[in-house]
Amino acid sequence: MVTKEEYEQIEAYLNGTLKTEQRAQFEQRLRNEPQLAKETAEQRLLLQSFRVYGKRNQFKEQLEGIHQEMQAETARSKRLAFESYGVRAFWKKHLPTMAVAASVALVTVFSTLLVMDYVRSLENKQATYYRALKREVDNIKRKQNVTNDLPASNAPVVVPARYSATGFVVSSNGYLVTDYHVIEGANSLFIESRAESRSDKIQRYQVKEVYSDPARDLAILKIVDTSFVSFGQLPYTFKTTESELGEPVYTLAYPREDIVYGDGSISSLTGFEGDTTAYQISIPVNPGNSGGPLLDGKGHLIGIVKGKSVAEDGAAFAVKSKHLLKLIRSIPKDSLSGTLALPRTNRMKGLKRPEQIKQIQGLVFNVKVYH
Amino acid sequence: MNKNSYGSEEELLSAVGRQDSTALNLIYKTYFPMILHFVIQNNGTEPEAKDVCQESIIVLYENTQQPGFALSCKIKTYLYSVCRRQWLKRLAEKGRYVGKVEDFENFVALEDERAAMDEREKQFGVMRQALTQLGEPCRTLMEDFFVHSLTMQQITDKMGYTNADNAKNQKYKCLMRLKKLFFAGYRSD
Repeated sequence: MVTKEEYEQIEAYLNGTLKTEQRAQFEQRLRNEPQLAKETAEQRLLLQSFRVYGKRNQFKEQLEGIHQEMQAETARSKRLAFESYGVRAFWKKHLPTMAVAASVALVTVFSTLLVMDYVRSLENKQATYYRALKREVDNIKRKQNVTNDLPASNAPVVVPARYSATGFVVSSNGYLVTDYHVIEGANSLFIESRAESRSDKIQRYQVKEVYSDPARDLAILKIVDTSFVSFGQLPYTFKTTESELGEPVYTLAYPREDIVYGDGSISSLTGFEGDTTAYQISIPVNPGNSGGPLLDGKGHLIGIVKGKSVAEDGAAFAVKSKHLLKLIRSIPKDSLSGTLALPRTNRMKGLKRPEQIKQIQGLVFNVKVYH
Repeated sequence: MNKNSYGSEEELLSAVGRQDSTALNLIYKTYFPMILHFVIQNNGTEPEAKDVCQESIIVLYENTQQPGFALSCKIKTYLYSVCRRQWLKRLAEKGRYVGKVEDFENFVALEDERAAMDEREKQFGVMRQALTQLGEPCRTLMEDFFVHSLTMQQITDKMGYTNADNAKNQKYKCLMRLKKLFFAGYRSD
């Protein structure tokens, strides 16, 4: 332990405040007295530590000030950005994902729309280019009739047919064939023949659908009227093979209330858009021609008229008889009441056209469809 | 970094050496985010990052005061190296060392300065502890005299001693106690 006086000397020596001679004297003592030298060294170290300590504290204070200032600045800018911060962080985080999702959604939506539009346009095209030939009975006339008939409540209300087309007999016991699109959704079906109207013999029967094939556009009908007996032996037969290109053909149908004859030839062995189940024929046809029989010069039934192309002139189509036969064969036995026996003998082979027509016109009927 | 007020790193460094507040401001605000990031990524907190950052700048300052000191790399790299060293030391002291350090910058080994830095570190730590153990009013007296360099007369007035001699006596007693405490800590370390 140093005394207070000694300590003051050490302090003065280290501070450099000793006078020259005192200083020399003190240094002399340091050399001679190890205890004093040790104390001096310790004091020097202590002073140095004080300096480091002081400097550091002071420095720290200054830096703390800077830190506070910086915090304040950040807080200020944070406060400014506070309102938009949440939204901005959200966008920053999710923008890429959302962008991808949105573009996928957009692409999907638009491609779907485009594809749908394209498909619809194709459908429209088909619908515009192809027309099934059932005849829609004049709407206004029908309505007028209904209104006229209404007051006489006792009188039976005559509801005119909604559609009218053609059908023909395929077997003598009352089976007929027509197009599926004619009877589609029908409530009740009637057939009428005015072929022999001059002799006042209007044949009118109620029929029902027995079997139909929407794909080939064919339907088999059966007369359900009890008054019906038989058509007798049918004069025509069905051709099982395909006819040749250019073969002269003709048809009978009810595009209006009277039977109409039309002739032409097979102009193509395929139907609308390459449909192999049909012929293209060059017979002028109109709504109402649907279901009309297509016959060749020898009295073979070779097809059933079903529609025409709107885009081309004079291009009508008829289902090939082969497919009609296939359909008849595929009818389940229990849907038939009585056998469906197809005619076997052709009685029209040598006849001239008017004679042939006379033979068959009684077998072609106007199919009236009621909804 | 904003080099408008300081043409080069050397100028900036010498300004730090002069304890220029603009330079310190600039350095602090520029590099605090880097240090914060480093500390947080290495198992630390923001207050710890603040301490480490301040310590690192102090060390930078102290090193500039050493004779023959020359910066061999960018201030950024140097500061990062110092901060890295400080933080690893702290982690080791707290037993929180995590093994692999996640680094974000280049750093230098600080071989030359290491001894001096450790020594100052030790002096500072021991002195702080000794002063804490010393207690009032000795601590204030010691700090006023040795740190704030007040004269004995100023201290007499401030502490309310009857005369300077009284203050001197008091100071002597305090100093002896402090010395004991200090060297006890210094040698045991």
